[in-house]
Amino acid sequence: MTMVLAICVAVTFAVSIYLMLGRELKGVAMGVFLLSHAANLSILAMSGSPMMTHAQQEAEVAAENGSHAHIVDSPLMKDPPILASQYANEQPLATMVDPLPQALILTAIVISFGVMAFLLTLLVVTNRKTQTIEVADLAEEARKA
Amino acid sequence: MTDHRIILLCVIPLAAGLISIALINRKALSRLVGILSYTLMLGLSLSLLLKITAAPDSESILVSQMGGWTAPFGISIVFDSLSGLLICAAAAVGLGAYVHSFSVISPVTERRYYHPLMQFLMFGVNLSFLTGDLFNLFVAFEIMLMASYALLTIGGSKAQLSQAYKYILLNVLASTIFLMAAGMVYGMFGTLNIADLARIVAEHEAANKELPAGFKSLAVMFLLVFGLKGAFFPLWFWLPDTYYTVPISIAGLFGGLLTKVGVYTVARLFPLIFASDGTSTILADGTMLGGTSPIIQTILIVAAAFTMFLAVLGAVSQHHVRRILSVHVISQVGYMVFGIAVMTGNALAGCAFYMIQHMVVKCALFLCCGVMEKHAGTDDLDKLGGLLKRDWFLGVLFFIAAMSLVGLPPLSGFFGKMVIIREGFFEGMWYLGVIGLVTGAITLLSMLKIWSYGYWNPDQAPTTNKPEAVKASCKPAYAAITLLVVCALFLGLGAEAVYKVANRAGEQLDNPKHYITAVLGDDAYAKVDELIDERIAQEPAGPASADGESLTLVNPEEEATP
Repeated sequence: MTMVLAICVAVTFAVSIYLMLGRELKGVAMGVFLLSHAANLSILAMSGSPMMTHAQQEAEVAAENGSHAHIVDSPLMKDPPILASQYANEQPLATMVDPLPQALILTAIVISFGVMAFLLTLLVVTNRKTQTIEVADLAEEARKA
Repeated sequence: MTDHRIILLCVIPLAAGLISIALINRKALSRLVGILSYTLMLGLSLSLLLKITAAPDSESILVSQMGGWTAPFGISIVFDSLSGLLICAAAAVGLGAYVHSFSVISPVTERRYYHPLMQFLMFGVNLSFLTGDLFNLFVAFEIMLMASYALLTIGGSKAQLSQAYKYILLNVLASTIFLMAAGMVYGMFGTLNIADLARIVAEHEAANKELPAGFKSLAVMFLLVFGLKGAFFPLWFWLPDTYYTVPISIAGLFGGLLTKVGVYTVARLFPLIFASDGTSTILADGTMLGGTSPIIQTILIVAAAFTMFLAVLGAVSQHHVRRILSVHVISQVGYMVFGIAVMTGNALAGCAFYMIQHMVVKCALFLCCGVMEKHAGTDDLDKLGGLLKRDWFLGVLFFIAAMSLVGLPPLSGFFGKMVIIREGFFEGMWYLGVIGLVTGAITLLSMLKIWSYGYWNPDQAPTTNKPEAVKASCKPAYAAITLLVVCALFLGLGAEAVYKVANRAGEQLDNPKHYITAVLGDDAYAKVDELIDERIAQEPAGPASADGESLTLVNPEEEATP
């Protein structure tokens, strides 16, 4: 699963960087949009069941041994705060995906929506003013100014 | 210590911004709301700063847990000496730039939601200074950046639109990297709370336990992001072009505030967390001295050296006042990075002092440039001249601000540079100290260039503007510049008082204990103390104690008097 996600992130990154290197700002804007998706996917890869947290590993080991999970409070290993709560040794929570990264992704999606809306509006305004959204023409325009 | 008033520093600009959206067609009223908001922020942050300065160490950091969720589960808002200093300076700079804009900004621009945007920018800046949560920092950055994108393209001239994409796309890229890095921090440590991260790192250090693999690459990712926002070498190329096209008051605000937010985050996160290499030395008195990762420190040193020196050369080669000032923003950032690279308490105190003095002085210079443009109709040094004869008062204001930037005693820049450079020599980074001194001399050269071409040059600029008419129309601008220059003079002549606060800021950055216990409660540091006691029991502190003597903080009094 981690491998699939990693490949997804890599491909999304590659496509977005290809788009961002284009000559037209429309493509660049699409590249930026894809880039934020790549970032969100990578956050998803950071969490979730494939990368087991400390508590989950303990729970799994304990379940195999047929006893109740017991969390050893290790000084140097930090569990996700919500999962490491007092209920973490009960089975349903221990197998749950960490909810926090999902909240992070949700926030990030909203923000990237806002940025995208602004960028597209700016493109329309630029096109009206300068009759072009080619990078080279805009650079020419900037040199004149 | 809990104090919920600190969140007002974010609520005030947000509320003022929303109100001024409703008042968009009432010019006088929206200006009044804006001024009121900046003044309230300034007053509140000053009173809170005075309060924590007078308080004993244990109560010197104000914390408010949002929604009553205890840290590290909720978002903590933290007001310590560094945040306090920067928010005060930011409010002063914001007030100055805002009042100045009344005399330079066109009525059409003003109706295009200029007032709300200025407030939202302040909201983002204040939240970045206050937040104790890495992801919330990302959100604060985005609020600030959204407002800055809109202010950058306000008015929508061809030059602005064609330059804006560089800034916007680079910042979007940086934000994406920041987002990924924040996600990785969560994956690695299971927390995003800065104090909690600092606790985990301190526990690793106390146990001499290696940090997780990939920690250094995370640090480099963060450095890339904040370096781009703060315009460190080699990520500075976007800055001069961007500041050249916007209305001058906004350029002053950007020059004063935006790069400093990047520097602040480096100063906040690196000494506490990301510069650590997971080792430590225990001094004879039982304090722990965290080790610094050589790679990160080298990157910071190289960035500081090149930022200072190359940018000042760039500034000398320019021939337009705005461009000289913009490129100087970068060069001065180098000194701050120098302070962070040395990474002792004193150097960080110097860095904090330098940041606030630079915010005030740089904004004052940009605002002076705005009035110069009003007088002569241009900022090209070849066409400027005779300004001292036309307007001696502006000349005096400009001269004080310029000499503060250069760092002539007893003006404010001197005290910042002195502490940073002296610490550099103490810590064996003499090469950075030498570069800092040479850069100071070249800064003097470029400021004298503006002075002699613009002010002393007897040839009058070919202009039809009557001096009296310009002076009458620029009254708010003079008030704003005077306010900032008085602040700069206070920072210079009252450096001793300011350094009392700055030294505490440096100490809080150098020793994570204060920050951790303030945010997470007293028990949070107990584990570290235990581990330190174990270490002391195992290995009697030997040669480390001799080193320790020179590293303890010097008294504020000794610090401030040259």
